[in-house]
Amino acid sequence: MTDDVDDETITLAHGAGTGRTTELIEETVLPHLASNGQESVGLEALDDGAVHDVGDRAIVTTTDSHVVSPRSFPGGDLGRLAVAGTVNDLAVMGATDPLSLTCSLVVEEGTPLSEVESVLESMAATCEEAECAITTGDTKVMGSGEIDGIVVNTTGVAIIPDGEHVPDAGLSTGDKLILSGPVGDHGIALLAEREGFDLEGDLESDVAPINGLVAAALEAGTVTAMKDPTRGGFATAVNEMVRKADVGATVDETAIPVGDTVASSGELLGIDPLDVANEGKVLLGVDPEDAEAVLEAIRSHPLGEDAAVVGEVTDDHAGRVVLDTGFGRRYLSEPEGVQLPRIC
Amino acid sequence: MAADQVRATVRIDGVVQGVGFRPFVYRTALDAGVSGYVRNAGGTVDAAFESDRSSVESVLETLRAENPPLSRVDRVDVTWTDPVGTDGFEIRDSSTDGTTDSGSGGGAPVPPDTGICDRCLADVRDPDSLYHSYWATSCVDCGPRFSVVRGVPYDRDRTSMDEFPLCEDCRDRYEEPADRRYHAQAVACANCGPTLRYEADPAASVANGSAAIARAASALADGEIVGLKGTGGTHFVCDATDPDVVDRLRERTGRPTKPFAVMAPDVASVNSFALVDGNERELLEDVRRPIVLLEGDDETTWLDEIAPGLHTVGVALPYAGVHHLLFDHVEEPLVMTSANRPGEPMVTSATDLWERLGDVVDGALVHDRTIVNRCDDSVVRTVDGKRRFLRRSRGWTPMALPAVDDADEGPAVLALGPERDVTVAVADGDRVVPSQHVGDVDGPDGLAFLEEAVDRLTALTGIEPDVVACDLHPEFTTTEWARRYAENGDENLLRVQHHHAHAAALCAEHDLERTVAIVADGTGYGPDGTIWGGEVLDVTPADFERVGGLEQFSLPGGRAAIREPARILASLLADEERIDERLLATDVAETPTEAAVVRQEAERGVNTPTTTSAGRYLDAVSALLDVCGRRRYEGEPAMRLEAAAHDGSPRSIDLEFTSRNGQRTLDVRALVTDLAAMTEEYPQADVAATAQEALARGLGRIAVETAHERDLETVGFTGGIAYNDAITAAIRRHVTEAGLSFATPVDAPAGDGGVSYGQAIVARARGGRGRNR
Ligand SMILES: [Fe+3]
Ligand SMILES: [Mg+2]
Ligand SMILES: [Zn+2]
Ligand SMILES: [Zn+2]
Repeated sequence: MTDDVDDETITLAHGAGTGRTTELIEETVLPHLASNGQESVGLEALDDGAVHDVGDRAIVTTTDSHVVSPRSFPGGDLGRLAVAGTVNDLAVMGATDPLSLTCSLVVEEGTPLSEVESVLESMAATCEEAECAITTGDTKVMGSGEIDGIVVNTTGVAIIPDGEHVPDAGLSTGDKLILSGPVGDHGIALLAEREGFDLEGDLESDVAPINGLVAAALEAGTVTAMKDPTRGGFATAVNEMVRKADVGATVDETAIPVGDTVASSGELLGIDPLDVANEGKVLLGVDPEDAEAVLEAIRSHPLGEDAAVVGEVTDDHAGRVVLDTGFGRRYLSEPEGVQLPRIC
Repeated sequence: MAADQVRATVRIDGVVQGVGFRPFVYRTALDAGVSGYVRNAGGTVDAAFESDRSSVESVLETLRAENPPLSRVDRVDVTWTDPVGTDGFEIRDSSTDGTTDSGSGGGAPVPPDTGICDRCLADVRDPDSLYHSYWATSCVDCGPRFSVVRGVPYDRDRTSMDEFPLCEDCRDRYEEPADRRYHAQAVACANCGPTLRYEADPAASVANGSAAIARAASALADGEIVGLKGTGGTHFVCDATDPDVVDRLRERTGRPTKPFAVMAPDVASVNSFALVDGNERELLEDVRRPIVLLEGDDETTWLDEIAPGLHTVGVALPYAGVHHLLFDHVEEPLVMTSANRPGEPMVTSATDLWERLGDVVDGALVHDRTIVNRCDDSVVRTVDGKRRFLRRSRGWTPMALPAVDDADEGPAVLALGPERDVTVAVADGDRVVPSQHVGDVDGPDGLAFLEEAVDRLTALTGIEPDVVACDLHPEFTTTEWARRYAENGDENLLRVQHHHAHAAALCAEHDLERTVAIVADGTGYGPDGTIWGGEVLDVTPADFERVGGLEQFSLPGGRAAIREPARILASLLADEERIDERLLATDVAETPTEAAVVRQEAERGVNTPTTTSAGRYLDAVSALLDVCGRRRYEGEPAMRLEAAAHDGSPRSIDLEFTSRNGQRTLDVRALVTDLAAMTEEYPQADVAATAQEALARGLGRIAVETAHERDLETVGFTGGIAYNDAITAAIRRHVTEAGLSFATPVDAPAGDGGVSYGQAIVARARGGRGRNR
């Protein structure tokens, strides 16, 4: 056709954690960066982290660069996000006890020192909460305008018994899908803060390390697959999990916990809480026999009081998630970079 | 043998198979005392006639002039020779001479479903007939076809009638060439055919046959909602004139305002509540019995509950025998609306009816003839004096639509349509065959129906697709399905821009090599990643160039702006007070603070996709004028705006034009600002009419200027907005006054039901070359 989209430059959509991101990774990154074949979970798996077997144990690693605007927001800040993000990526691999975190700070010239300090303070406090420590690091300063404020990269390393990692691709038919708490808090709270929307109520990010909660879940029963529903939200996470396992799922929309303020704000803004980021939640696939025990264990944890079974893995509709809205059934689609109306 | 004896060998092209054509030829030949034979050959009918020249001429004359109701004679080729000497006239069984005995001419070799014919209806009324009071009688001129067929060739064995072996009486008729039931595959009588029953609950049948009909009638009279299994599916039926039961139906089905179709016993009854002109009477009485949108009578108050806020009502006359028999007991018009949950396909069996919709119906009048192919009612409307399809389904499926000339070469195509109001289509050679209405396919039930429709259509037509065509929208289920399908086989994938597909359909129907086309609708994904919908294109079947249209505006809140069109005013108006007032009045915002948030969202460009949609412009005006602030079904705000404009007259208003990369664009913001100012002075109806006229004039002017500049002779108009009578008429006037010809859809739906047809045209024209990804 004429006027084709220019696919040659990176757009913000490539970073939104949605279809475009996958495309960027699969078509541009992976051809260059092949794993060396010595991992049980490598780059190609596009999981939350990598797993390397070493004798009867396995090393789990993960890395994430954190930027957020504004750097401080209701419920958290950049420092808390940088630690929780990496601790959670390890946790959803089944590694709930981090051995080491690294911290690489890239700071823009002109940033007040007090801001850097407050980020570091928050990182320390979050480490304490997650019972982990930053054991190595690096700092760089860039010229004014070369980056926006502060970028924090953290890498996490953990050691677990060989074969005990939990992939995001492990769902099988009959598994229950458990969500550890209400969705949409981080995305909506951050948006409201950034854009200065005067949304009534107490919007707060859920950013928190959830390794303790995940440990309790793993203790209670067989968890087959896990993912933290960050960028792209619950909708993206659940679709990715069923696609990777080549199974289907039905999700009961009315069972998905959503806070009142998030629900009403989402409605006002036209944003579906299922589509936006969370930073303190986990979506688990659980063996049906253990579902109740795992749910109970998660609910006993302070961060999991509102956990719920939200769906079930099926063998029909492979690769798709059917959302039962209470009025009818439709496919739960993944948000693209920009929300695209599809109704005529 | 007398000296003036001749032999005419004849080939007849058109819709001539499976429509009673051979018996018609047989009877004609017998009447004229002519000998020879007739048989089906490929997609045509072959015949030979021997007699004196004038008798043969008279037979040929009859063949050209009269023909069975479902047939259409396109061409009669005659070769004159000396007689070879024949004895009597016979219908040759095509299977005995190696050709297939089936076909509907130019489509799938299976005829469409047709309403019961007058002669069968007379049999039903005739106490001495074998078919007296029998609900499922049919002949070669009428009855179920596509809805009962499993495979080809079209024979009783390959239909769901195979469960009902013919009794001796029926077989006699089936085998008698002079009988109109000769080789009519759905022939049946009360002794051998499908049976009818009434169920008051899923477990038990409480009445059978005529008693079942009487029982259903009494349930309807008692204000109950009855599920009625008919030809291609099941309907919810209730007394249309009883607002209480209609309201109950709305509540139970979760359709608060969606218009319900109505069935009335005859035209006289229709006349009592709707306006029927000559053209519309013809549409109502068409043997295929579509639902016809008519202007409702202002005085008839029960219509307010049937079609809230609209000036039209969809009406059909009885088409199945069971409908006629039901109206023997019922005087009032009945609601006759598809039995399904919103967004799901209509149910086709008693089991599904009770299982899925048991909370809606109080009883069910059902039969045991399996509906193999679900086929919803077709819906038509007179727009600017011409018939337009809102839905082309029962009665027309699986007939073909025109292909582009000289496109015989090239790949066989499967086209999947967009995501809502979907049909699929297959194409090869000189035929494009669209499926029945499939509907919304954004859920598992809709997609399953789509897959079924694809399987059936490819099997019936024998088309094995080389190329699969789909929309450009990245999130459509059909796009994803097409990607998977293309990966599974060797097929290529072609993604066709939505409005190009709409316009290409127009090219094919009017045999246009190139034209200017106005394509106006709600949503179509543009190659630039924005949402198009008010476009002027310079288009060929293979390609298009966007030359202008509406100026871009935004949809604050994304999909929410479609549900709640007042949000769009935050993008179109600069008047904060007015915007907030509208947001509050339409319950988008509960407080002024909330209203401010929606405005800020628009200002800051958060969650606000960019669009040029004409549908969204009309929606926004609808919200501005307090006509409709909440969309509860597809097209509601724009349809209600059309209703509001119906009694108004457009006021003169100056249009402003802008430019976008050298393209002419209509300044929608200036227009909506002017319309807002008009509301102080003029009645709602006039402002609504002005809004429509301004859109028509703006797009019309851009199209006409483009046509003049580029030396093109035709301007076309299509897309969902082409269902709007006033807008279509206004565009037509602009175009014809400028000395150009005007083209609108003929047999293809103007809305998204016509998109698969257009996609197939594009794919055929491009020979499969396109975006393969
Ligand atoms: Fe369209
Ligand atoms: Mg992650
Ligand atoms: Zn008949
Ligand atoms: Zn019989």
